[in-house]
Amino acid sequence: MRVSQKSIGGLIVLLACAVALLAPILAPHDPTKSSVLFLHRPSDTYLFGTDELGRDILSRVIYGTRTSLAIGAGASLVAVIIGAPIGLAAGYLGGKIDVVAVQLIDLFIALPGLVLALIITVMVGPSLLNLVLVLGVVTCPVVARLVRGQTLAVREHAYIEAAVAAGGSSFWIIRRHVWPNIVRIVAAQFAITVSFAIITSASLSFLGLGIPPPTPDWGSMVRSGFDVLAINPALSLAPGSAIGVLVLGFYLLGNSDR
Amino acid sequence: MLTVTVRRLLLAIPTLVALTALLFFSVTKILGSPASMMLGEDASPSAIAELNARYGFDRPAYVQYVDWLKSAAMGDFGRSYTSNDSVGAAIAGALPVTLELSAWAILLAVVASVGLNSLPNMPGLRRIVVLANLIGITMPNFFIGISLIFLFSVELGWLPTTGWAAWSDGIVQHMQHMIMPVLTLSAYYFGAFSLIYRAEFSEVYRLLYIRTARAKGLPPFKVAFKHALPNAILPVITFAGLSMGQLTGGAVVTETVFSMPGIGRLFVSAIAGRDFPVMLAIGMVVVVGVVIMNLVADILYTVVNPQIRLE
Repeated sequence: MRVSQKSIGGLIVLLACAVALLAPILAPHDPTKSSVLFLHRPSDTYLFGTDELGRDILSRVIYGTRTSLAIGAGASLVAVIIGAPIGLAAGYLGGKIDVVAVQLIDLFIALPGLVLALIITVMVGPSLLNLVLVLGVVTCPVVARLVRGQTLAVREHAYIEAAVAAGGSSFWIIRRHVWPNIVRIVAAQFAITVSFAIITSASLSFLGLGIPPPTPDWGSMVRSGFDVLAINPALSLAPGSAIGVLVLGFYLLGNSDR
Repeated sequence: MLTVTVRRLLLAIPTLVALTALLFFSVTKILGSPASMMLGEDASPSAIAELNARYGFDRPAYVQYVDWLKSAAMGDFGRSYTSNDSVGAAIAGALPVTLELSAWAILLAVVASVGLNSLPNMPGLRRIVVLANLIGITMPNFFIGISLIFLFSVELGWLPTTGWAAWSDGIVQHMQHMIMPVLTLSAYYFGAFSLIYRAEFSEVYRLLYIRTARAKGLPPFKVAFKHALPNAILPVITFAGLSMGQLTGGAVVTETVFSMPGIGRLFVSAIAGRDFPVMLAIGMVVVVGVVIMNLVADILYTVVNPQIRLE
């Protein structure tokens, strides 16, 4: 029996959503409550042990799912909200708008996203909302380029010509005839963007510019575990694997439709 | 070719000016006066005013920017706020580390992706390669780095955990410190190049001259590496050139994980210390690097495919 990559990805994403929703039931301990058992080795009570403040690692990994999903989905939503209209306008209207848009898009795609995100985050300060906005802005050129390309292809169809001949306004044609035809590919890109946003936000956390404590955040956990790798490797390895699995899920989900 | 190159480089100047200006004004607007940053929160107003006058921070931002641009054009990027060292010297010291790391990483990624994806079918091999590609693309590279350190340094004790050894400390020392960072940085590009190369390779493998080569009894190994590979490698080369700019992002994380004295770590510490001249200078280096690498990729493309001409 062959299982498609897309269904594996979908399953991972569904499971992650379930874990995020049921976190209070699944987590054996309070994720933000410290105890005197600092850096405890894995045991029956603490399945992955405890971190440098005596907090249960498993519970923090479970609650961290919420943070990662919120940042990933939020940032991708921002990227589509900003990027899609730019791509639609550039691709459908063409002319000078297209030239300027393509120049800007190419410029920002060439710049390293993480470096850009680092600079903007240090200027606006790290918080959940700021990270969502920053990562959304940094990834929106990719969405804009994809939407522009798809719009160019759709524009050539006879039904668009018919709609123009029938006297439809550009805005109406884009909304009624162009957008429905590219929304499937945008949805696939949405999933890919989620995986990129999760990786980038985890990298920012790792570099010390992530969500402020005590919110459980996988990237920051990997960072604090890095210093005590020889004492309790689970502090780094558990949240790190969680990032990898979630990113893989979104990647597989989006990749087949691109 | 020469005129095209010169024109492209000249065209990059407005981009550079626009980006640094954007960075300059937003940073001065949001981070506030550099004098209070340098002297700390409780500095007396007179001390701040004195420093402002000495460095010219009290002038309007655009005057300061034009000043910065003038000296930057002559290679003087000012002094670091935190260490008071010359920014240009700090970057000149860090740049070779990052360039070497990036060059090895790209080389390894190209060789591994092209080599592994050209191998004739063997049971289970494709599955392993595809899995490795997926891991490379989806695992954040700081986590790959930490996993490598855990495995090879903490558990097995084969390699030094972090740090850096110059060439002058001996080749073995140097390479021992280089292996894990190079593996870490190349993982993503190995995955990405593999996807591109495999798609192209499958296309090429369906062509008639491949069928001829196989029909005349050449071993599959030779067909793949000698006949299909040279025609399928083009997009990988282009993409590799374009990736060199993006690589800076990965280098930031990799150098931080392995404590390597490169541009990436310099950038992270500049950000942590709000060291504005260093941030600005590195931003400029990155943009220049991106422009140059894009140009190199374009030129390389015309070399391997003469049908394309640069305009």
